[in-house]
Amino acid sequence: MTRAAIFTALVLLAWLVWDTGADPVRLARGVPWILDFIRRMMPPDLRVLPAALAGALTTVEIALLGTAVAAVLALPLGFLSARNVTPGAVFYPARAVLNFLRSVDTLVYALIFVAAVGLGPFPGVLAVVAYTTTSLAKLYSEAVEGIDPGPVDAVTATGATRLQILRYAVIPQVLPLFLSYVLYRLESNIRAATVLGFVGAGGIGFYLQTYLRLIDYPAASTVLLVTVAMVMVVDATSSRLRDRLV
Amino acid sequence: MIEVAGLRVVRPPATVALDGVDLVVGRGEFVAVLGRSGAGKTTFLRSLNRLVEPTAGTIRVAGRAVTGAGTAELREIRRQIGMVFQQFNLVRRASALENVLAGRLGYVPAVPSVLGRFPAADREQAFGCLAQVGLAHFADRRADTLSGGEQQRVAIARALAQRPAVVLADEPTASLDPSLTSSIMDILKAINVEHGLTLVVSQHQLETALAYATRIVGFRQGRVAFDGPPSALTPAVARMIYGDGP
Repeated sequence: MTRAAIFTALVLLAWLVWDTGADPVRLARGVPWILDFIRRMMPPDLRVLPAALAGALTTVEIALLGTAVAAVLALPLGFLSARNVTPGAVFYPARAVLNFLRSVDTLVYALIFVAAVGLGPFPGVLAVVAYTTTSLAKLYSEAVEGIDPGPVDAVTATGATRLQILRYAVIPQVLPLFLSYVLYRLESNIRAATVLGFVGAGGIGFYLQTYLRLIDYPAASTVLLVTVAMVMVVDATSSRLRDRLV
Repeated sequence: MIEVAGLRVVRPPATVALDGVDLVVGRGEFVAVLGRSGAGKTTFLRSLNRLVEPTAGTIRVAGRAVTGAGTAELREIRRQIGMVFQQFNLVRRASALENVLAGRLGYVPAVPSVLGRFPAADREQAFGCLAQVGLAHFADRRADTLSGGEQQRVAIARALAQRPAVVLADEPTASLDPSLTSSIMDILKAINVEHGLTLVVSQHQLETALAYATRIVGFRQGRVAFDGPPSALTPAVARMIYGDGP
């Protein structure tokens, strides 16, 4: 059994290497090109710094607004797709819809929304909302399913209604988890939002793509450095907030 | 006060937890339920307020039919049945007073309560119950900062806040240091004597049951195997309840 599984995995890996044309020699031959690319990015052209910072701000705004709206929209969906608080007749369809919607990534949503509402940060916000709502709903529902059933029993035994049970036995247990998931999604959304500009959905990605197209590598490197700094600042702030929640 | 007839509880697929229980408990009795683990003690207590759904039989508490009651009616009946659990089942992140206030949920207006608002009279009552178990000074302390014994006292206060006619306690001292057993049992006894409440307490410690109860009910394999005053519980009867013969 185990031996057969290992053999199958090795065969599969070999086929994947062959089918994707993965070739260490080709990578080795590409190294000088990469080095040349990096050399031509130096030194960064700081004249585009104001534009890069403005783009970074837009990206942060897209991620913040999108995550905030999704955090709220995901609440009803999260409870509806939690097995232990929702009857099966509602739970199964809710789960199915979520799994379907979650299979589409933010960037794909961005393409759709750019086509629907035009260029700019707004389709970016919509794309973040669409993807984050479903992924947070999934995380919320798992948090709800993982609660200690004891307080639910206790509050049920007092003669409370379903809504009161939710409010007094379930939500106090899951709220810190929910907030920590929202911050975690915010961190990944910042990263996702950096490439939204590639498809016209606003933010710093637009500048990166523009300078790369213009073969203005020093300008592009400034944008890249700003992106890295932005992601690091948001990650550090967010993880510090998350530590406080636990 | 409690009338149980022909109570059967079968857990899917085919585990018989209770196999035809008939029991009548009068007002003001202090009944200790004994039995080995798996004998049906917990299932019996939890079916009295239908935290466990009976498969067959009838249950009446305080003159009202528990079995067959609709959702709203069941909530009204549950208000009259306080419940104390082995694991306390407090909301860990909520304060002691908030936990006790949960006992008022069956009485207060639904919408304000979901928003976290309780009438002043209910707050006073909850505070009074906390004072009754000697923990008024801990009203604002988070439940998970209290010791096990204190948490169980908060849980008793929550049951008292329901102004119940009956209090069910499922192994209330089993999770506590043995030295705390008497402090919890003394409080339950005081509730029984001073307020005339009917108590049904499951106990794994024979000596504790004999010291506090006015009546002993022994469960064995889902049936009542003994029912009588503590004085009638001879060593032979104890062996019959706890023994490992058929």
